[in-house]
Amino acid sequence: MEIFEQINLNQTAVTPDELEPLLEETVELVQKRRSQGRIIFDRFMRNRTAVFGLLFLILMVLFCYFGPTVTSHNKPDLLHPIPLNAVLEGGLRPTLQYPFGTDDVGHDWLARAMAGGQISLLVGLSSMLIAIILGIGIGSVAGFFGGIVDNLLMRFTDVFLSVPLYLLLFVLSATFTDGSPKSIIILIAALSWMYTARLVRGEFLALKEREYVLAARTIGARNFHLMFRHILPNAAGPIIVSATLLVGNNIILESVLSFFGFGIQPPTASWGNMINLGDNLFDVNPLLVFIPGMLIFLTVLSFNLVGDGLRDALDPYMTER
Amino acid sequence: MGRYIIRRLLQAIPLLILLTIFMFILIHLMPGGPEQVLFNPHMSAAARQEMRVRFGLTDPLPIQYLKWLGQTLTGNFGFSYADNLQVSYLLGQRFPATLQLFIPAFALALILALFLGVISAVRQGSITDYGLTTISYFGIAMPAFLLGLALQYVFGVWLHILPTSGTASFGTNFTPFGAFLDHIQHLILPVLTLAALSIAGWSRYMRSSTIEVIKQDYMRTARAKGVGPFTVLFRHALRNAVIPLITVVAIDFGAIAGGATITEGVFAWPGMGSLFFSSLAARDYPVLLAILTIGGTLVIMFNLIADILYGVMDPRIRYA
Amino acid sequence: MGEYLLEVQDLKTYFKVRAGRVRAVDGVSFGVRPGEKVGVVGESGCGKSVTALSIMRLLPKPAGEYAGGGILFDDQDLLDLSEREMRRIRGGKIGMIFQDPMTCLNPTMTVGKQIGEALRIHLKLDKDEAQKRAISLLQQVGIPAAEERVNSYPHQFSGGMRQRVMIAIALACNPKLLIADEPTTALDVTVQAQILELINGVCSDFGTAVILITHDLGVVAGMCDRVVVMYAGKVVETATTNELFANPRHPYTLGLLASVPRLDEKRHAQLKTIEGAPPNLIKPPSGCPFMPRCTFARAICRTNPPLDPVEGNANHLKACWVNVTDPKEQAYAERRRLARSEKQQAVVKEIAASMLEEK
Repeated sequence: MEIFEQINLNQTAVTPDELEPLLEETVELVQKRRSQGRIIFDRFMRNRTAVFGLLFLILMVLFCYFGPTVTSHNKPDLLHPIPLNAVLEGGLRPTLQYPFGTDDVGHDWLARAMAGGQISLLVGLSSMLIAIILGIGIGSVAGFFGGIVDNLLMRFTDVFLSVPLYLLLFVLSATFTDGSPKSIIILIAALSWMYTARLVRGEFLALKEREYVLAARTIGARNFHLMFRHILPNAAGPIIVSATLLVGNNIILESVLSFFGFGIQPPTASWGNMINLGDNLFDVNPLLVFIPGMLIFLTVLSFNLVGDGLRDALDPYMTER
Repeated sequence: MGRYIIRRLLQAIPLLILLTIFMFILIHLMPGGPEQVLFNPHMSAAARQEMRVRFGLTDPLPIQYLKWLGQTLTGNFGFSYADNLQVSYLLGQRFPATLQLFIPAFALALILALFLGVISAVRQGSITDYGLTTISYFGIAMPAFLLGLALQYVFGVWLHILPTSGTASFGTNFTPFGAFLDHIQHLILPVLTLAALSIAGWSRYMRSSTIEVIKQDYMRTARAKGVGPFTVLFRHALRNAVIPLITVVAIDFGAIAGGATITEGVFAWPGMGSLFFSSLAARDYPVLLAILTIGGTLVIMFNLIADILYGVMDPRIRYA
Repeated sequence: MGEYLLEVQDLKTYFKVRAGRVRAVDGVSFGVRPGEKVGVVGESGCGKSVTALSIMRLLPKPAGEYAGGGILFDDQDLLDLSEREMRRIRGGKIGMIFQDPMTCLNPTMTVGKQIGEALRIHLKLDKDEAQKRAISLLQQVGIPAAEERVNSYPHQFSGGMRQRVMIAIALACNPKLLIADEPTTALDVTVQAQILELINGVCSDFGTAVILITHDLGVVAGMCDRVVVMYAGKVVETATTNELFANPRHPYTLGLLASVPRLDEKRHAQLKTIEGAPPNLIKPPSGCPFMPRCTFARAICRTNPPLDPVEGNANHLKACWVNVTDPKEQAYAERRRLARSEKQQAVVKEIAASMLEEK
């Protein structure tokens, strides 16, 4: 950290005649500069809603991944015995033993919620990572090289963007997936890279004209070096924001797929197929639907809040004077 | 301006062609294949071969594609495997229902989003703004089907004031006007569900766009001329703020089409979305292909319209 | 009406920011007579633009607020008017043009419509009359092929042309006063001269008074009848142009005039600057705001000097305790200046040495 000092002038002026001596003081300024990372962190922390979102996400991860061992609700597939009248009512209502109740065949809804959370979060995050990598790959090449390469790649991207997303999603899942999280992850990633690619392409198109790129070129930097050591770090801000929002988006995609029976298949639990299961008993036991529904909603909301908080914190006007 | 339109049209055509090829290949990759759907297990091999020829399945794929393309351009989408009806007939049957859902939802979403976005921007930082922004956050995080289910529960099961599925109530004998009202009642929840997601996203966009515009220097010039606050807002700010929204709305068309499909699924609304689901389950390829193609074409068309509108509203694009 | 068309009386305009209140305009008084051209000069951040915006009541809300004083225009205090009445004045009686012509025009409206807007609001002209008058205005401001260009959009004009359009808009309703906030700062030098000539000519023709805000003394010398010099939100000197240039009486004015390089200077002579930086406007020091940078400063300067006439000339006002024409004061100031620059050089050498050591 650098320390700037302004000049401190102390001067006594002796003047002729009756004029009094004068002591001058000018302001002494000591400025400390915070590192960029620290600035961004502070700005993020100042945004209360974003911090809430982050805290909620941390809690959710703990809930899904440590909950089963801590609370011993760790058998999502087990059919617990429940009394007959509960079956007719669509499952047990929440009790101490089953805090989220059960469905009509005796699934522990809390255990399934936690297991489902693991899957849904996993799908959301992994598909985001793959989509981001794909998007950066395609977008950076298109934006950096321009010309025919850009044209071709963007046409390709446009085709994907031109189909109504959900329709394609359903058709592809019927064709290619087998209900396993892995196939769903790949599918969702294959349909969400386009937005990142567009974004990255735009950033690269703009940034490659900057002077520092030209400067690096004049000392003989090669293309890959330019792209990934110079341009990409500067484009990182919007990409990070987009990535965060993408996770929420992908969790919704997975839940839609699973709700309509195309995504994760039971017995593997996911929040989406929990809603699918619960939909049959909607009239008698709406909790079966609304518990996983609320979990999805709150998780996606938190990702969005964090993403927006990051966007504000990474604002281009982030240098401190 | 004319040149601009023609240029965009020419750009759209190869995209359309690529799209149809993509769809075609996709459909043909689906497991099961038309054979499984068409063939009665007891058919003899000869009969099967005859069926194959009849449905054009013996031709190599590119030929099949070209034949299909030729037919499609004349409006003939072939025959449904499931019903043996003309696909175009099926589509025609279902299309009005989807339109009934789509148009009110789209209009509602657009008008409300504009209105709410501008109010939020003008009263930036106030409680109104805060409240509206919070609601829009909720709207974005909520999956469409979940909102539909929630509305069904609140208004259908709990409050019992609105119907939750279908287009008409069972076992009733309404007067024509009564039937009309009943139909409208059935329309309310699906339309709300479909509109909600779009409103959330668009109003946020409109809000930030309007905030940006209000900061511009020409707003100050207008006020220095003595222009009143409402005129300043409508004639100067809105005209500029709406322009980026056009692109967003056009891009979202694909999402709305998907949303319409999902909404039809949740509310058992007999439109093209439901047809899509049933065809998917039945592996009814001609229908699926037709729906996908129409969907894709509409998306491209909407993008084109958006580009043209953009040119109309922003003179800088026109005279570039 | 008294002799003044516009009289700003002890105007105070503050801005609320997180750190406190910025005293952007802190007791500014001056007057503009009908048809007179007054230049307001000062460095960036001295409050000249805020003064202009205050007159028009165009302060950014909610941060800007009036903390005192009055603005008399045509015998009305503008601060007492309702917003609706003020709107009639804006564009109608007082016109304003801004600094950056590239962003000051609405990109989605034709130039003719933007001029016409002012005409229709204030003069109640209908569409056709407004269009005709817009064409004539465009011709007056020197836009060629006005009949066709009236339907063009702002992005089809160059910077200088756009500023001409702005002038047309501002003068469309024949206002009594034109406020020009750094109208040429964002333009090429050659275009600057044209625009200034245009303003000068049109305003002389129509008898419009002008407040020309600028940081460029050359502009003022060429065009203005009187000059108001501002520093840190206060007026420090005001006089007729000739008087100010011939007989400056405030140390700041002296510094400004001395810093303009002259053609008859020796080559390779060091350029003269005013050392230091403007004060913090959130917590301004009591006393003369220029004191820390002033070479004439004395103990009495800890009290803020009033804006009083210079001896022998009631129209030349200065806010300074010291008589800068006194040779004794001048010697003292010169000695001060030398000592300061020596000390400064010594300190700079020290810092440079220590920084080299750190490496």
